[in-house]
Amino acid sequence: MIIDSHTHVDRFGWYDPPETIIRLMDEAGVDQSIIMTYGDAPDVEGALEYIAEAVQKYPDRLIGYARMNPRRGEKAHRLFQKAMEVYGFKGLKLHPVGSLSHPGSRDTIEMIHLAARYGAPTLFHCGDEEYTLPLQIAQAAAACPEATIILGHAGGYFHVQDAIRVAERYPNVYLETSAMPYPRLIKEAVERVGASRVLYASDGPGCDLTIEIHKVRMAGLTPEEEEALFFRNIQRILSNVRTKEEGQ
Amino acid sequence: MIVDAHVFLGAGLFGYGQTLSEVCANMERLGIDKAILVPVKPRDYHLAPMNDLVADAVRQYPDRFLGLCRVDPWQGEAALAEVRRGFEELGACGLYLDPWEENFQVNDRIVFPLVEQAREYGKPVMVNAGHVRVSHPTQVGDLAARFPTVQFVACNGAQINICGILLFDARRMLEVCPNVVIETAGTYREDFLEEIMTEVGEDRVIFASRSPIYDQPFEMSRVRFAHLSDSQKEKMWGLNALRVFGGT
Repeated sequence: MIIDSHTHVDRFGWYDPPETIIRLMDEAGVDQSIIMTYGDAPDVEGALEYIAEAVQKYPDRLIGYARMNPRRGEKAHRLFQKAMEVYGFKGLKLHPVGSLSHPGSRDTIEMIHLAARYGAPTLFHCGDEEYTLPLQIAQAAAACPEATIILGHAGGYFHVQDAIRVAERYPNVYLETSAMPYPRLIKEAVERVGASRVLYASDGPGCDLTIEIHKVRMAGLTPEEEEALFFRNIQRILSNVRTKEEGQ
Repeated sequence: MIVDAHVFLGAGLFGYGQTLSEVCANMERLGIDKAILVPVKPRDYHLAPMNDLVADAVRQYPDRFLGLCRVDPWQGEAALAEVRRGFEELGACGLYLDPWEENFQVNDRIVFPLVEQAREYGKPVMVNAGHVRVSHPTQVGDLAARFPTVQFVACNGAQINICGILLFDARRMLEVCPNVVIETAGTYREDFLEEIMTEVGEDRVIFASRSPIYDQPFEMSRVRFAHLSDSQKEKMWGLNALRVFGGT
């Protein structure tokens, strides 16, 4: 069983209809993928609806995350609530390069708190660009201890060690393997933070799912550790997600 | 024929490196026929002895290796003399410039005399490209446009960025500068490599691992699993590199 924790479906800008990721999933033997757009709602009109339609079309294969611009405040909150309650989304995606919302800013923190009230994880783009560095996202992890924070790409090319340090410091932080090119650092991450807090993902369809799976298999993990990365951890995270906001 | 167009040799200042016997053992194990050896920057900062080390390896295994000559442009006349020694005495098949580790901007005027020297000898110039402060794809393009008769090899797909914001610049640079090819090593994303091969030119991408910075067996998977024809892959695996570096 393999669940890919970070893939893309979009019709705006980079055009990747759901059929593209489904084809690559079939090719790589991936059972389910978490999908999100490349652009932020509400800035990109219809973005969440496009994800909802894709999930509706392939309910056994695709799981939706809402990629949001936290700087849009109340409007973003209302849309996210609709995504969770009406569309059945399972998580929040934040890409601070796109939204220009610092991970430690009040807007971002409020957005993460909102997701956490649904038990939903927040997946950050976490690479080498300003606003996406692991030690910046650490501010969000510290401010939202009740939230599950996933460092997508685990720090990219130059910041993987920082990402591992952040995960060591904050028990609510997970590392996600997509696109970073170092199998040996997947092994190191598992050794330092435990296999229960590392997730397999591809960042497909741009990054090839087969290659990204190959990378995890090359890391020298035990079969149990591989299982944790490939599906058990994300299953456990998503099992906590609710369609109603806590206290509502 | 598999040619790894970028394999580092020597014990490096920055914590990476490998011996000749390690390089040979890995090539044997992975079925790599030839490699272009690149000197690391050593702990004593002196590049000339590393150029000797590479030349010795090429002399020892002339059927298996070609070697590049590495210089620091900040060394001025001494660098120029070392390039001449590399081409005339050491049999170097090209020049290696590392703006990241030697700390210069690749389109700075201190680089021009070295490239002029490569042009005079009809040798290609490999550039550690994609580092946004010193070898952004637009800076690589600026240098390549200044020397249109020199063949350049841009490492890292000419762009090191895990969110894709350099993809546009890297492709534009390749379209504008027909004298640049890119290496596959570490490249974000696989569909970028496929796009350059199919839409820009089948002679524009060469397999390289940049091992041991990147993982040699994992880097091979970028070509192995590419969605390209066998003849396109044959060019990536080795034919394009042999054309650029002059091997057989």
